[in-house]
Amino acid sequence: MNKALKNPLAFTLFVLPALILFLMFFIYPIFSSIYYSLTSWNGVSDTVKFAGLTNFKKALGDERFWISAKNNGMFILFSVFIQVPMIVIFSLLIANVKKLKGLYKTAVFMPSIMSTAVIGILWGFIYEPNIGLLNKIIGLVGIEPIYWLSDERFAMISILLTNAWQWTGFYIVMVLAAILSIPGELNEAAMIDGATGVQRATKITLPLIMPIITVVIMLSIAGAMKAADIVIVMTKGGPAGTTEVMATYMIKYAITNFKYGYGNAIAVLIFMFTLLVTALYQLLVARRNERIEY
Amino acid sequence: MLRTFKKCVPHAILLSYLLVILFPFLFVLFSSVKKDNLEIALNPFGIPKEFVFDNYIEAWVNAKISTYFFNSLYIAVLASIVTILLGSMFAFAVTRMRQGKWNGILFSLVLIGMLIPNNALMLPIYTIVRKMGILNTHWALIIPYIANAIPFTVIILAAFMRILPREIEEAAVMDGLNAPGIFARIIIPLTVPAMVTVFIVNFLGNWNEFLLANYFLSNDELRTLPVGMVQFRDQYQMNYAQMSAGIVYSVLPVVIIYAFLQEKIIEGLTAGSVKG
Amino acid sequence: MKKSITMILSLIFVTSAVLTGCGGNNNAATKEKVAPAPEVKTEEKVSEEPFEMTIRHTQIGADKEKRFAILQDVVKTVQADVPGLTFKLDGVDSDVNRKEKLRGEMAAGSTPEIFELFGSPDSRIYAKESKLLDLTPILAELGIQDKFSNLDPFTYEGKVYGLPIGGSGEGFFYNKGYYESKGWKAPTTFAELDKQLADIKADGKVPMAGASKAGWVPLMLANHLWSRFAGPDVTNKFATGEAKWTDANVVQGFAKYKEWVDKGYFKKGELGFEYAEYTTQFTSGEAILMYDGTWKSSVFKAGQSGEGLIGKVGFFNLPAVEGGAGDQTALMRDVNNGYGFSAAVANDPRQLAAVTSFIKNFYNEQMQLRGLVEDGVLPSMKIDQAKLNENITDGLMSEIVAVLNASQSSFPAFDSLVQADVTTEISNIQIQSLIGGQTTPEKMGAALQKVQDEANAAVE
Repeated sequence: MNKALKNPLAFTLFVLPALILFLMFFIYPIFSSIYYSLTSWNGVSDTVKFAGLTNFKKALGDERFWISAKNNGMFILFSVFIQVPMIVIFSLLIANVKKLKGLYKTAVFMPSIMSTAVIGILWGFIYEPNIGLLNKIIGLVGIEPIYWLSDERFAMISILLTNAWQWTGFYIVMVLAAILSIPGELNEAAMIDGATGVQRATKITLPLIMPIITVVIMLSIAGAMKAADIVIVMTKGGPAGTTEVMATYMIKYAITNFKYGYGNAIAVLIFMFTLLVTALYQLLVARRNERIEY
Repeated sequence: MLRTFKKCVPHAILLSYLLVILFPFLFVLFSSVKKDNLEIALNPFGIPKEFVFDNYIEAWVNAKISTYFFNSLYIAVLASIVTILLGSMFAFAVTRMRQGKWNGILFSLVLIGMLIPNNALMLPIYTIVRKMGILNTHWALIIPYIANAIPFTVIILAAFMRILPREIEEAAVMDGLNAPGIFARIIIPLTVPAMVTVFIVNFLGNWNEFLLANYFLSNDELRTLPVGMVQFRDQYQMNYAQMSAGIVYSVLPVVIIYAFLQEKIIEGLTAGSVKG
Repeated sequence: MKKSITMILSLIFVTSAVLTGCGGNNNAATKEKVAPAPEVKTEEKVSEEPFEMTIRHTQIGADKEKRFAILQDVVKTVQADVPGLTFKLDGVDSDVNRKEKLRGEMAAGSTPEIFELFGSPDSRIYAKESKLLDLTPILAELGIQDKFSNLDPFTYEGKVYGLPIGGSGEGFFYNKGYYESKGWKAPTTFAELDKQLADIKADGKVPMAGASKAGWVPLMLANHLWSRFAGPDVTNKFATGEAKWTDANVVQGFAKYKEWVDKGYFKKGELGFEYAEYTTQFTSGEAILMYDGTWKSSVFKAGQSGEGLIGKVGFFNLPAVEGGAGDQTALMRDVNNGYGFSAAVANDPRQLAAVTSFIKNFYNEQMQLRGLVEDGVLPSMKIDQAKLNENITDGLMSEIVAVLNASQSSFPAFDSLVQADVTTEISNIQIQSLIGGQTTPEKMGAALQKVQDEANAAVE
């Protein structure tokens, strides 16, 4: 009876365009990266020489690579352990105020619609040591100027703060929507039973919004693995390579150093790193709240 | 007494967060009408004593912000729309058309894409774009942008389509509709909320994209806003007043669009993501 | 079942066609490049059909307007000269062009027809892979093959692949007004320089401009320092293994730089500043000295950012170091910035004609003198000394020329002598670590030598 939906030709036509693009821009690149990661190609030459696992050995033995991997890790830890709790707290607060709800929602979301590059420029100005906003503010309470982006102790955290500034609002809006979709009766019933605001938040709201929090965590991790533009715009990986992330490290080697093969080895390591993080996450967190259904 | 206090605390916290969000914008706005770095340094927080609008004239001349802005806008919109079209077709096929195990195989294949940070694929994508002969044209961004957003689009839309009841299309088939007909007349109208969500997320991703835009285009007229602004910053960095004017130019249109559409954007974003 | 097999087949067919399509192009492109160039000189009537060529230049930003004006004039002349030709000008930051854009495009085979090219080692790498147009026949045709003072950086296996726009030397620009107010003269000994730096610091001024976000900026001075301590030719010996970065003299150079950093002779927080800030520190009077290339003299001209300092800027060479090795007057000089041309130009007689016209109109005495007078770029072509003197009216320029003439030898900057890996290591990591205090001069030498050894061992 359902012939129309069993027609293989129609099926093929429906899947093909997306599938071709997917194969061209995801699957082929992966194999191409794996192939070149085993060569010492300089990216210019016509001859490609096979180099075995040398590139991987070199990368794993390079302190710089580990620094950049560590910085990706910092992005993840910062998002999951600092940003996510803040997102939840702010969402709960906004959900429970009666006035100004719309204003809060609109304002917190605003940074997310601006491009990361522009935000990087804006914050570069705020971090500027002599006339930037931040040093002027800490100057009011008598703290000496801090060289935010050029001092290795502060550069990474400065980038993380900017990143958080841009994206926190985006996730707040998502979590907020989930909170507001909880039927009011549940809370009312709890209120009659004499539950305090905090109790209601932790016992009723939180468990109900757990699925969306899981999504937020997943998206934060994905975002953390992708972060590269903000680093390029704000510090170019400096000072002395301390804010390099894996993607910028890869670009630096593949293009600037004529090490296309090596750059691709880094790309492969990035895939593996991502798979590892995702697998860990699924095992440690998602298991407990039933596995994520895509 | 305690009651009003309790009521005020959340507002106090939220208002200070609001201040953190908004003050940087104000700082840049004020700086853009100050004479020079010195005046910014002497009077960082306040409104300038006299307004200097030369910065805006100079920034407009020195950076082709209008060009960059429209480049970004049309690339982001076009790529997002095509992604939704192709993604929804794919999602429709794998969720509603019955092709046995193929549905599952193809869907899981695309899922793999979600696990791959796409900027790690930059080098091979560069090679592909070059071989297609579209390097240094806007297609060098549009096509990869379309492709990059497919996994996410398919996942959200498929989740949405899957929960539609079977009976809908059975009725449609009885009415003599074929597969494209069912897709266009029945499924699309029902998935619009999810599509809005996906469109917004994809649009923001494309609008923000920096890496490919930085490496794949080298003509000034082709540059997108993020790359153009960074280049502007690098050249006129020392003149913070002028740079602020540039930032205002690049932020203002977005804020205006957002002011008009904010409810739609926020609703759209949440409607699809929460249900999906 | 049958249907699904048809479907797999059609899927496989389509996707493999797409993918092999990509692969196939590659071979075709390679073959094209190998095709011998000169035989295309057919006698066909030159078509007047419009065609476009792109020039990649780095003349962007306020400080390079003069240089850009020169390029624009040449572009106009060439367009009038070659029927149908329109040039598209593509301006990119010079470091970005050299280290990112051009390298990517070379790999892709998608370079502009005409582009700014860094001489050594870049042009040799590209020339080896036949990516660059051999200019030897064009130079012979125009009769200018012997006119250049030094084409070494652009020469590979006896053929010329690029032409330097101008030359440059590096030394200290100093604020004459400040020096006069103190009753000082340009230092002639290293001790004198050290004393002046300390006095400026004590006076509450910034002794030297600093902007080390891009590593090459502090490395100009650092390079000169290690070459004073260890000899002008030492950098040349790293790649051959005759000298090591860990040699005591080299490390002493790093240590001197570090000493100046530790004493606060550079502006605080300079690791976060871009090159543009470097000039501003000097032109604003905040910093008294600025170690930079002679190209910077163009800033001190009417209408430029250093206008306020016209007549108040002097130039001196880094003074001799006591106990230093080799010629202590040696200057760092380069003719490394030039133009190169895509090898693909050889396949199109009209493009070839345009390139020939470009070279003819860009590389001549008139343009070289104009570059010197308007833009402060030293000529890369041989020009009669009398004519030179006649054209130098600018006080700073004559001072620069005097300094250049007083030096007995010169050496090229390190990045034209060592491998790209070593350049990246020292400019992206080591020099910034040294400034930031995360490494010591000794550790820096050891780290560099490790990369140098690897680079020397890698046989390309």
